Amino acid sequence: MRAFLVRHWYAYAMVLPVVIVVGVLVLFPLAQGIYFTLTNINEANIANPVLDRPASYEFVGLQNYLHVLSGSESYGAFWSTLVRTLIWTFGCVFFHYVVGLGLALLINRPVRMRGLYRVLLILPWAVPPFISVFAWRYLFNSQYGILNQGLATLGLPTPVWLGQSDLALFSVMVINIWLGVPFMMVTLLGGLQSIPHELYEAAEMDGASPWQRFRNVTLPGLRSVSSTVILLGVIWTFNLFHVIYLTAGQNPHTRILVTYAFERFFSGATRDYAVASTYGVLILSLLLVFVMFYRRAMRRQGEVW
Amino acid sequence: MAEVAYVNASRVFPGNPPVRAVDNLELAVADGEFLVLVGPSGSGKSTALRMLAGLEDVDEGTISIGGRDVTNVPPKGRDIAMVFQSYALYPHMTVAENMGFALKLRGVPRTRIKEKVGEAARMLDLEKFLDRKPKALSGGQRQRVAMGRAIVREPSVFLMDEPLSNLDAKLRVETRANIAALQQRLGTTTIYVTHDQVEAMTMGHRVAVLKDGVLQQCASPRELYERPANAFVAGFIGSPAMNLKTVPLTGEGAQLDGVVVPLPREVLDAVAAERLTEITFGVRPESLRLVGADEGDAVGRAFELTVELVEELGADAYVYGSARVGDRPERFIVRVDGRTPPAFGQRVRVAVRDLDEVHVFHPETGERLSG
Amino acid sequence: MITANAAAVSATRGGAALAKLALRRGERSLLASIGLHGALISASFVSVFPIFWVLVTSFKPDTKAISPQPKLLDESNIDNYLNVLSGAKGDFLGWFGNSVLIAGLTTALAVFVAASTGYALSRFRFPGRRSLLLGFLAIQMFPFAVLIVPLYNLLLGLGLQGRALGLVLVYCSTTVPFCTYMLKGYFDTVPTDIDEAGRMDGLSPFGVFWRLVLPLAKPGLAVTAFYAFVTAWGEVAFASAFLSAADESKTLAVGLQVFIQQNRTEWGHLSAASILVALPAVAVFYLVQRFLVGGLSAGAVKG
Repeated sequence: MRAFLVRHWYAYAMVLPVVIVVGVLVLFPLAQGIYFTLTNINEANIANPVLDRPASYEFVGLQNYLHVLSGSESYGAFWSTLVRTLIWTFGCVFFHYVVGLGLALLINRPVRMRGLYRVLLILPWAVPPFISVFAWRYLFNSQYGILNQGLATLGLPTPVWLGQSDLALFSVMVINIWLGVPFMMVTLLGGLQSIPHELYEAAEMDGASPWQRFRNVTLPGLRSVSSTVILLGVIWTFNLFHVIYLTAGQNPHTRILVTYAFERFFSGATRDYAVASTYGVLILSLLLVFVMFYRRAMRRQGEVW
Repeated sequence: MAEVAYVNASRVFPGNPPVRAVDNLELAVADGEFLVLVGPSGSGKSTALRMLAGLEDVDEGTISIGGRDVTNVPPKGRDIAMVFQSYALYPHMTVAENMGFALKLRGVPRTRIKEKVGEAARMLDLEKFLDRKPKALSGGQRQRVAMGRAIVREPSVFLMDEPLSNLDAKLRVETRANIAALQQRLGTTTIYVTHDQVEAMTMGHRVAVLKDGVLQQCASPRELYERPANAFVAGFIGSPAMNLKTVPLTGEGAQLDGVVVPLPREVLDAVAAERLTEITFGVRPESLRLVGADEGDAVGRAFELTVELVEELGADAYVYGSARVGDRPERFIVRVDGRTPPAFGQRVRVAVRDLDEVHVFHPETGERLSG
Repeated sequence: MITANAAAVSATRGGAALAKLALRRGERSLLASIGLHGALISASFVSVFPIFWVLVTSFKPDTKAISPQPKLLDESNIDNYLNVLSGAKGDFLGWFGNSVLIAGLTTALAVFVAASTGYALSRFRFPGRRSLLLGFLAIQMFPFAVLIVPLYNLLLGLGLQGRALGLVLVYCSTTVPFCTYMLKGYFDTVPTDIDEAGRMDGLSPFGVFWRLVLPLAKPGLAVTAFYAFVTAWGEVAFASAFLSAADESKTLAVGLQVFIQQNRTEWGHLSAASILVALPAVAVFYLVQRFLVGGLSAGAVKG
């Protein structure tokens, strides 16, 4: 034991601060959060030292889960919200990846003014997202937004983009795709540049057409970068809150699981913390299951991480 | 100045089964000696060096420097300096700062550091580059800075881990001579790791050959060449490599394609004692010669070779050809005069120059049988 | 130009069939060039236009900003900027200060704590290392929704609810693991030979970290710090939930929302404020962005 400590003393000393931070700010709250889902905690019965009020919430068993999973409208219509969340997540990540890869391929060629293009294309990443969201709300405004002005000039219909219809979901997805493409582009560009040039030359010597080179050199070369960014993309988008919240507020047509959890936490007369936590735990479980399947699929393809 | 001793030192990497990277190394290096550790990759030579440096744990046995047991002393307490294969220069420091860093850490006054660095820079012809960053130097210059960083310390032992392997061939030969001369001049005990047997032979006072973590032989270059302790050392030292063939025995010697190469009495006795019917027969390419048709007597003792390839190097030529040994063809290399090499496909007769230059090893253990 | 060359070459060779082959390596036909630039120009337009339009709008009075016939210039002036900066439309400078304070503290704390752990994870093989690494990855998955209630509870208990420091702690829960992971990646690119050379020169393991690896990882530290800063700078959910409703405690992300609530649609002022917020962020972003792609080039000095 002594030898063990002597050998790893430095390592543990250096790791300790983060372990403490994570323990206090993540693990302990996580455990508590899971416990809260089994109670009826809300703003009225949470412990509040400022008001000198002790906690008075009660254990209610699985009641919250039953309410939520029943899909009842008053508990956020879980199942239809889940479907919407999946459309939102996979739609966004799909276009992030496809558009990002396309742009990365274009910009990876020797093009005049490549530097300028790159700077312009990264701009959506550089601007703080809440600013971008305001900008898009302005563009999408049904009366004075420039998008509808343009459509009107062309004699096309001018819909209410962010109104009470599924068009609003489409609009927030457009905004989020616009926001997320630069990150994908930059990471995939890094991946493209790490593919050895000789591989392309060898493929060319073997008589591969440009498409075949893309299929057999570029895509396999990007495999490990892609699997990571797609995984991260799915997790982040699944949990992405601010785009929808700042664009559409509490519009039920853009409601995804996280925004509903926040709604329950933050608004309403009672501020139902128990239901908010229940949603949180359900989201986490869904992601864990997804990651498990994703890892297994990647491992089957020989990707180890 | 100090002597170095490995006493039964082992490094065992955990695993299943555990890997003994260095296995019971027993090695004593005299004060001021230039010792080369050589071996193929994975032989444990770098690990052995890093154990001495304190960068690798010693799992069994001990290591001492200057008579002091340093087995559990951290690197900074060992009074040693090391030149790395990659040089490991600090990219954010100038050449002068790189060289003086260790002294600065020890609290040596700045004027004294400057003096020492200047001195080393003069020795290594680096004075013009003292204010540059490593990035702005050529490979050879970086190598010299790495040397300088070690010299400035005035340590009791230099450790060098393949310090020439990142240089091009010409510079490597040049630097090889410079390092040997420098070591001569400073007289500091030096342990030098390389996989290149030419470097080992030209630089070392003594050479230690390692294989699979086990020390095979430690001797002077001459001794290694003339009396390799086993078949591995015989094949590893010398270029082109020694011809090593398993051949059947007759009463007087080794049977090679119709001729019998006579072996000394004591070898035959040793063989008889072990009841062997075969031996590993070794003869260096330079110990073989072509026999002309006019050399009446010698022709009878020569065996026949069909030429398959001739490598002409100018002064010499290496002839690769096959001969029958037992019932299978074996390839032999012969070093011949570069001016009159045989042609491809030609059949030539080959004889051993001097029977003293024949090496005989045990066919299974590889141990040397000849005296 | 290129096709003209190609045509000339093929003509001299006397074979029109060669025309296509006669393009030198790495050259493109004119059509391909037009297609490539066309695609890039349209993509750049889509990428820049929303922000450009905010810039244009920021100079317009609020009444003109909602005109049904938008023009580039419409009584444009800098009044919006003056109003925003003078605090006539909400405590902009106060929000800005809060954002800087909160994001700055988060960054300092996160990078400071994460650096040593990142180094230990990169260099030492200690029992528990793998589970730690996996744990940091797993935390990326946590929806804030699962932590928001317990953290709220925790801040209430600590008496930090509604305070800037409380928000900093909350941000650390996500930034610290992420920064650790990122820095570990950067430290991995610093060759271990450098560490060993330092050990030989007489440094302790901590000395190696402090005097050699940290200076070498400066670009990585900069990128990580920037990342932490931006995360905290743009965060909305916790900031909306955990800061008191009082105007002077808001961050920019929360404060700016008041410009466009139901009865106030001050797009001109919002745009001006947005530009003021975005400008420094964009500037810093372009300073560090080359490190985001290229990774560390300063790492190894090899022959």
